[in-house]
Amino acid sequence: MQVTLKILRFDPGKNAKPEWHTYQVEAEPTDRVLDLLHKVKWEQDGTLAFRRSCGHGICGSDAMLINGRNRLACKTLVKDLGSVITVEPIRGLPVEKDLVVDMEPFFAAYRAVKPYLINEEPPPARERLQSPEERERYDQGTKCILCASCTTSCPVFWVNGTYLGPAAIVQAHRFLFDSRDRGKRERFKALGSASGVWRCRTAYNCTEACPREIPVTQLIEEVKRAILFDRF
Amino acid sequence: MYRGREGQWAFYLHRISGLGILVFLMLHVANIASAMWGPEVSNALMKFYHQPVFQVGLLFLIAGVLYHGFNGLRIILMDFTAWGVRYQRALWYGVWVLFVVFYLPFLIKIGGGILGGSHGD
Repeated sequence: MQVTLKILRFDPGKNAKPEWHTYQVEAEPTDRVLDLLHKVKWEQDGTLAFRRSCGHGICGSDAMLINGRNRLACKTLVKDLGSVITVEPIRGLPVEKDLVVDMEPFFAAYRAVKPYLINEEPPPARERLQSPEERERYDQGTKCILCASCTTSCPVFWVNGTYLGPAAIVQAHRFLFDSRDRGKRERFKALGSASGVWRCRTAYNCTEACPREIPVTQLIEEVKRAILFDRF
Repeated sequence: MYRGREGQWAFYLHRISGLGILVFLMLHVANIASAMWGPEVSNALMKFYHQPVFQVGLLFLIAGVLYHGFNGLRIILMDFTAWGVRYQRALWYGVWVLFVVFYLPFLIKIGGGILGGSHGD
């Protein structure tokens, strides 16, 4: 089938602002959007810039705004989109070139919630044991691949870049609800601040966008309640 | 426009209706405070607000208050129960059912008044 691929392109050396470029690409219905981008780059215009690494939905490099929704280009099939496909860079982060954005603000928020196990108690002779139920409690958060689909689909994040964003809160949830972790107070400093969880207005775009099907809003609400009830 | 689903529109409408109610509240306070300049000023302002266009505004205001209130209950359920988030879409449709039920009497009374040439007197 013939696909019309519209890409919002931006070259900081040439353009004052992004502009749409249209490409005609021959594709199979089972091709992924990533395959189309490769065809454009390899056969039509080598200057097209985009990120991708594993190509199988694990590395989280190729989150893009495809037909109005954040998705991974490597997990989105042409047959699910039709013959006209629009691709834009994810929103709320500075565009460096074409579909490549500066991820540093995203990772700064990730670091702010201290996404690692904090436990100053002397380690036991063997490992810190955990029951299957305790492991299950934070299972959803472990699925995150840090692709930024959720954070850059959030209307609050678009207008307030200081908001930690859904991805960072999901990472915080993963450790807050880990029975071995003791870092609650340290994380609550960032999460309970003016740019923390209270900026979430439950628009659910994050939950809809997550390519790993993490119930993101549910986890954010659980963190809100953890902070709230911690005060009593 | 980002193609978000029910939750996104619930949020946008909540914000817009909230701002609308805030604007009304300011106009309302200014209206009441106009009594400080005596009955002439106050009555003149009251008369100004009795133009038909403000009856349409009243319909918007009631719509805003009803939506904001009912969606506020939805947000409370999402924030304070373990199941609210799971049923957020159904809850939003519930908001609209309540909205229609409560809005219809106002629409008939005030809307009928506007069409009948009443100025809210």
